[in-house]
Amino acid sequence: MFDMKTNADRFTVEIVKDSLVAIGEEMFHTLSRTSMSPIIYEVRDFACGLTDAKGQILTQGNGLTGFIGMLSYMVKGVLEKFGEEGLRPGDIIIVNDPYSGGGSHLSDVGLVMPIHYDGELIGFSCNKAHWTEVGGKDPGSWTTDSTEIFQEGLQFPCVKLFNEGRVNEALVDMIRFNVRFPDLSIGDMWSQVAALRTGEKRFCELCDKYGKQVVMGSVEHLLKHGEQLSRKAIEKLPKGIFEAHGFIDNDGMGTGPIHVQVKVTITDEEFICDFRGSHPQVKGPINCSYTSLVSAVRTVFLAVTNPSQDVNDGVFSPLKVITDNRSIFSAERPAAVSTYFETQMFGADLVWKALAPVVPHRLTAGNLVSACCVILSGTHHDTNEPFLIVEPSAGGWGAGEGLDGVPGQFCIGDGETYNVPVEIAETRYGVMVEEYSLRADGAGAGEFRGGSGVVRAYRAMSDGQMLTASFERHNFLPWGYSGGRDGSRNEFIIEKANGEVAGPFGKYARFPLNKGDVVRLITATGGGYGDPLDRPWDKVVQDVKNGYISLKQAAEIYGVILDPVTFDVKETVPQRQK
Amino acid sequence: MRVATDIGGTFTDLVYLDQNGKIGHAKSDTTPPHFEKGVLGVLEKSGVSYEEVDSFIHGSTVIINALTERKGVKTGLITTKGFRDVLEIARGNRPDLFNIRYQKPVPFVPRYLRLEVDERINYKGKVISALSSENVKAAVEQLRKEGVEAIAVSFLHAYTNPEHEKAAVAIIREIWPEVAVTASHEVTKEWREYERTSTTVLNSYVKPIAATYIDKLDKQLNGTGMRANQYIMQSNSGTTTFAQAKDTPIHMVESGPVAGIFGAAILGKMLGEENIIAFDIGGTTAKCSLVESGEVKVTTDYKIEHDERNAGYPIKVPVVDIVEIGNGGGSIAWIDEAGSMKVGPQSAGAMPGPVAYGRGGVNPTTTDANLVTGRLSPKNFQNDVDMMAVRSAIQEKISSRLDVSVEEASLGIIRIANSNMLNALKLVSVRKGYDPREFSLVAFGGGGPMHALALARELGVKKVIIPVASSVFSAWGMLMTDLRHDYIQTFIRSMNELHLHDWNNQWTSMEEEARGQYEQVGIEADKVVFARFVDMRYVGQEHTVKVPVPSGVLDQNQAEEVIRRFHFLHEQHYSYQLANAQTEIVNLHLTALGAVQKPEIAKLTRTGNDTQKSLKEIRPVLYEGFGWLDTNVYDREELSAGSVIQGPAIVEESSSSTVMYPGQTLTVDEYGNLIINTEV
Repeated sequence: MFDMKTNADRFTVEIVKDSLVAIGEEMFHTLSRTSMSPIIYEVRDFACGLTDAKGQILTQGNGLTGFIGMLSYMVKGVLEKFGEEGLRPGDIIIVNDPYSGGGSHLSDVGLVMPIHYDGELIGFSCNKAHWTEVGGKDPGSWTTDSTEIFQEGLQFPCVKLFNEGRVNEALVDMIRFNVRFPDLSIGDMWSQVAALRTGEKRFCELCDKYGKQVVMGSVEHLLKHGEQLSRKAIEKLPKGIFEAHGFIDNDGMGTGPIHVQVKVTITDEEFICDFRGSHPQVKGPINCSYTSLVSAVRTVFLAVTNPSQDVNDGVFSPLKVITDNRSIFSAERPAAVSTYFETQMFGADLVWKALAPVVPHRLTAGNLVSACCVILSGTHHDTNEPFLIVEPSAGGWGAGEGLDGVPGQFCIGDGETYNVPVEIAETRYGVMVEEYSLRADGAGAGEFRGGSGVVRAYRAMSDGQMLTASFERHNFLPWGYSGGRDGSRNEFIIEKANGEVAGPFGKYARFPLNKGDVVRLITATGGGYGDPLDRPWDKVVQDVKNGYISLKQAAEIYGVILDPVTFDVKETVPQRQK
Repeated sequence: MRVATDIGGTFTDLVYLDQNGKIGHAKSDTTPPHFEKGVLGVLEKSGVSYEEVDSFIHGSTVIINALTERKGVKTGLITTKGFRDVLEIARGNRPDLFNIRYQKPVPFVPRYLRLEVDERINYKGKVISALSSENVKAAVEQLRKEGVEAIAVSFLHAYTNPEHEKAAVAIIREIWPEVAVTASHEVTKEWREYERTSTTVLNSYVKPIAATYIDKLDKQLNGTGMRANQYIMQSNSGTTTFAQAKDTPIHMVESGPVAGIFGAAILGKMLGEENIIAFDIGGTTAKCSLVESGEVKVTTDYKIEHDERNAGYPIKVPVVDIVEIGNGGGSIAWIDEAGSMKVGPQSAGAMPGPVAYGRGGVNPTTTDANLVTGRLSPKNFQNDVDMMAVRSAIQEKISSRLDVSVEEASLGIIRIANSNMLNALKLVSVRKGYDPREFSLVAFGGGGPMHALALARELGVKKVIIPVASSVFSAWGMLMTDLRHDYIQTFIRSMNELHLHDWNNQWTSMEEEARGQYEQVGIEADKVVFARFVDMRYVGQEHTVKVPVPSGVLDQNQAEEVIRRFHFLHEQHYSYQLANAQTEIVNLHLTALGAVQKPEIAKLTRTGNDTQKSLKEIRPVLYEGFGWLDTNVYDREELSAGSVIQGPAIVEESSSSTVMYPGQTLTVDEYGNLIINTEV
């Protein structure tokens, strides 16, 4: 019963392993509860974790999926630059370089802290969080028309923010003078530091209690356990080569549609996603770094293997991600990357689309894909204080085998992400919300119906406001499958106070809004699954009654003709009676 | 005499306290769907004389059951134009991150029963467009045609100005007096439209159920000749009247578990222990909560059907802050695909229950492991325990797969279960900035006494208290309650720009409302005890810290003291303070207690250290770190006040046993509580 190497029984190893997982969660909550920014505490755009001394992730507390592939690369980047001997207890390294070390875009700022015990480096505490502001040419730092990294904000090239516990004041001053809302950015930096220290403290407490040997043994066990779970899951997957391709609308700077593709190869041991042949990197800011792509692929990998397990690097050992150099999925300096998340989500969507037909019990039809992010800046009409909305939009998800699509949910790159309540938005920002409703356009028809998109409309309450938004999936629809119809597109329109209408748009940088102008943000309805004529008629009746589909759609697509007043079924088309 | 009855899933418990301070208890079966029969049954069984009962306090799972079993009534919603889908969009979150087939909670009101009316109030409470009474009338007629039995009314910003909601309710009452109605401001005056609408809808959904239930109970009690004041236990740890409970039954949602936590706080006060971690292990879950300076902690962040993988449904009423995990006596031990052992969250429940119950259970549970290790005795079960079956279940499902002995596997199950429970205990203590070494642990429920001492050692807790009546402790807690109402009002103000008269006026009007409500039920204004709190934060933050504030008229000095307290509490909870940052108020929170006279609890008549008399047997027990030890087993019923027992030892009572580790010392106090010094 005793493990010879660690001299601990297997239950102790189990208990230490569970404790390590709990540390990731505790770090996550520490950061969330102390942050000053809605992007952290509502959108949960951050992740925290612990790695071993080699940078392999042991536990990661996540609010969303988008960082699942980044933390270990970030720590490995730190190790590569400083070496073990260059890292002292109390050091904290700051990094946001998009092209190396687990980077995504400059807004995602990573912090890494080495953990020493008895004078030996035993692991790292690390996190990465989306700062509301890192400077650059536009408020909110990401935009749809930057063309090189230098327009996108401050770059932290893996340097020490703390030296043996002492903060680097010069660096903090540089940050303070180069970002638009320094209280938010520096406040969040301190929250990140608090979370790192929590992780360090708990890791060392575990060593105090069980001994370093036992903890290290548990670390090994944890990674092996994760790997075994994944391998068992892969054994059950269908083997073969599965391909998908698709189009990104454009890069916002005149290039598009942009072709992307994947070839997924599943063998008994490996799960390989080969994106070679996709479009080279582009001028506009939708270029995606390799580690951002890895995050997206890992998300779908977990979804098809074992969505409920704890995440560590062992889990991903069967996974390989291949790209060309300088492709849109593996951008290199100085490509603009600030809206990388649009392309990143296409990476997920491609693998998803390739596998949906063969793993229908785990995957659904296509969905909004895009985070549908919005930046709205201006001054508050009552307080005259500047305000800044930076938020994603919820939309419709695809239907799947045995279930209708989910309406009004954030994209796969998000997760435990919350919308901002209307009552809070109207208090804090210079807007009134005209409507927050389901799109209910009846798109995504099928035996199982796509989930409805969402309409959210802001009325500007002061002059001189500015809107930037990125709504991909504007020209190409969420895909239905197995006979299900496609969903609808993401779009936004501006209804000016004078009656003029601008749009619909998929991307726009700095649209000026004045008092009384309304921006209507409309997200996609997800794709359907199965032939609409196979949808039971009583469900069709309910759909009409609830207004998810129209009488006309019921008749023409679902073959169920209803009385417009009583909603009684008058007749059904012959094809339904097969 | 005061009598408390608590309806649980399996049993209906009763505890009484007579004029001489004597405590008695009884248990009988819960009798769904006619729960009131079970109440009469347990009253009869207890032998209390109906004429002597002057206070009758009742807690029940009937509301939570109606919600989770979807047994409420067909409900309609009337809401602000443009916002009927708020209930379905909810917050858009997906807690089960990597599960692409995640399903959002389905709204309790389908879309065709969610109707919009013209009206709009802005964030300052100013009417932007008037309420269309025509729209309201049309909506009511449509809902009537659809056959709803209850209507919820929820308008934007009603927390700051409820006039449109009041007007809509008046119209509904006029044209359809029979339908059950709830407006959002009647159940919560906090901002966040989704959470407030959800709370309103859920209250409406159960309102007719609660009315029927309470009326029936009232009638049955009247039939016995009892003429007591009747109270219903609420989730805020206080009681309310039957009439009020019928209006806002959603306050009953957690009455049972909360009563146990409140009981722990009261017991702590009796024993001079102000800082308590209350810990309750039942069949399927373990619950814990932290009591600081004698006060239970109340939050409005409560959700039903919520866990780490499900968003659940928010209910924004004051509920005692409880952390609950899926680990109890019936939790099943299992091996995952990669060979790791887990305990829970699947539970064998009451049916079939652990293998030991002999009701067909085949999966080994924590209870079964406690039997194999000698911590529980087969003789202390109501049925004849087939130990062969228990051992072979562990052998087959665990031992053979891990290549360990049945005993090692059993101890492993207990240790993993303890590790899970330890994480929950840390969540309420260490992770909120409290040092468990400054707290005493009050452990109850069937499994509490069994696991508490191992957990206390891990946490560094020095003193553990196993209360008298630990298996009916929720009912004991109810016995000790007062009337309580919480009034929470969203009131966004920067502390820098706080107008003191604004503050003072708001509190005065809240206190007037409270006094008015108490007067209606015959409690005089001067008998109402108020406590004030504000939910505060640094400007820009989301999470708040609850700060106690002084009563009466506030002056500038006191306002500054409030800010100082906030900084201090913020540091305690979140490890730092921002001395120069602006602070703001989010909510005002008034608690109003209507104190009730209670007899003092009598002390045990048996005294003296005569443990030998109560020694039942000596049996081998397996302890982690010690191996098998011959262990004295005592009968709790026979122990006198002043008895002292040295660990290792076990104190047995019906349906539970206290497991003491070597080096620990137990004393029986003058009320019969077991007080254990853990020697950490």
